[in-house]
Amino acid sequence: MVEHVDDYIKPELMACCGAREIVDDNIVLVGTGFPTMSANIARYTHAPNARLMQESGVYDAQPKRPALSVGDPCLNPGAAMIGGLVEIMGMFLQAGWVDVGFLSGSQVDKFGNINTTVIGDYDNPKSRLPGSGGANPIGSLVKKILIIALHDTRRLTEKVDFITTPGYIDGPGAREKWGLPFGTGPSAIITNKAVMRFDKATGEAYLDTYHPDTSVDEVVANTPWKLNVADDVHETEPPRADEIRVLREILDPNRMIRIYVGRGYV
Amino acid sequence: MTKVMTMKQAVDKHVHDGDFLFIGGYICRTPFAAIHEIIRQRKKDLTITRSNAADDFDMMIGAGVVKRFIATFLSLGFYGLGRCYRRSMEKGIPHKIEVEEYTNLSLPMMLMAGSMGMPFVPVKDMAGSDLLNVKSFMGDNKFKVIDSPFDGTKTVLVPALNPDLAIIHVQQADENGNAQMWGIGGDCQVGANAAKKVIVTCERLVDREIIGKDPSRTIVPDFKVAAVVEEPFCAHPGYTPGFYDVDFAFGNLYKEASNTVEGFEAFLDEWVYGMPNRTKYIEHYIQKMGYGAFKSLEAGFDYSYPVSYSY
Repeated sequence: MVEHVDDYIKPELMACCGAREIVDDNIVLVGTGFPTMSANIARYTHAPNARLMQESGVYDAQPKRPALSVGDPCLNPGAAMIGGLVEIMGMFLQAGWVDVGFLSGSQVDKFGNINTTVIGDYDNPKSRLPGSGGANPIGSLVKKILIIALHDTRRLTEKVDFITTPGYIDGPGAREKWGLPFGTGPSAIITNKAVMRFDKATGEAYLDTYHPDTSVDEVVANTPWKLNVADDVHETEPPRADEIRVLREILDPNRMIRIYVGRGYV
Repeated sequence: MTKVMTMKQAVDKHVHDGDFLFIGGYICRTPFAAIHEIIRQRKKDLTITRSNAADDFDMMIGAGVVKRFIATFLSLGFYGLGRCYRRSMEKGIPHKIEVEEYTNLSLPMMLMAGSMGMPFVPVKDMAGSDLLNVKSFMGDNKFKVIDSPFDGTKTVLVPALNPDLAIIHVQQADENGNAQMWGIGGDCQVGANAAKKVIVTCERLVDREIIGKDPSRTIVPDFKVAAVVEEPFCAHPGYTPGFYDVDFAFGNLYKEASNTVEGFEAFLDEWVYGMPNRTKYIEHYIQKMGYGAFKSLEAGFDYSYPVSYSY
């Protein structure tokens, strides 16, 4: 009998949803925040042999505080290997060794395309965003992409203003046409309201589970494309006691995860 | 003959208006003292590159020394979007820079190709994205898409980059420029070796004999190096492994200051134009933030098991 926790905040549930996508022995390319928490929850529960890497050059870091960037000094001491971008992004990611990657963006569309470049016109931007960084190669080359997003009709969109990172681009077969590796692409969009997965026949995201305290109708109403709903749609499993214990006692004792509440993840 | 000189001399002698610069660092080992000196000497029309740019590139853009940016990313990390970068791109303040966009795979590969004398390199990313639909100052030479001559698959080619100058910060170097680094590498080694010449800044100058005790740590050999600057605390507010931590409080100070043009100008006046060199900068930091704040950044010791190259 799995024990669950009632007293949790939405970012904690999202971190648990991410963790459940990771399988033992996976190589996971992480950024900061959710991805690191998800990957480590997995390591401390069902996937003890999963290993993390950061694009800056680090493999199997043993940080003693939560890393605030992928270049954070706490990633250095204790790591199994440190190189640079050519090693992580070239020798490991491009060469096909990375199983799971996490992405997020200012806009995410129904094909799982992600925009982190510009809002508005490229040449005369309303808002200039950071750019690809590692996102495009991760989205192009990782076997299983997990997208973290805020669930509203501004962040989720029918079509992104700029495809920084390709999901299924404009539908089935598009990734293959562009020569992206077989079997790669977005696997799920984890939001503060739901978990959406992708229909292989259309390349579009559909509703798989809605979080406790929301509903199919609420999720559909807050999704700007015509959201298909899985036949067996059901409530997202709440955080398990062991997941929350790892998160609060080992990974994030100061509960820095609460900053995501301030960013709208409620 | 020694190549050791001051930062002022190194920047004056080797950074020219219009140059193409690779500047190493990944929060880790950013040569911030060199950035400040470039701004102080009011260099102009620079083209700058690095994967994952941060506050240092934001500052150069805000200070008006940059014309072009071969980019993958620019943000203040934990502190959000680069304010000066946004003002440049959205409002043309102080002027709109030209940006050529790649990724954290393709740009390091382009520098790697440059470091190896290869003309171009195939990469497996960018395909199917709008990064292939936008071109700036590199025009049609930003990339090419071909059918692979080996198996016919669609392949993206990107050109090699050979910057006029690389500036990198490392833990230690000798007076001729053999530069030794440990910790997160980013694209530092390929960027430095792709450049026509290198300015090495270091936390400590060591004898050639010390370099020889652990030669596997050398990332740039002396024959590529034009100048060596011993500049402790050079990477602040970034960090150098084994020497000092990231200064998150100062990162917040820069974020707050750069929220407005006036705040940014005042920041430059105080921390860049008002400081003749790094020593004065450190003195000013201690006066303003307190010795305790300075001391709290100091790294502890956690030595590795000694290595031996003996036979």
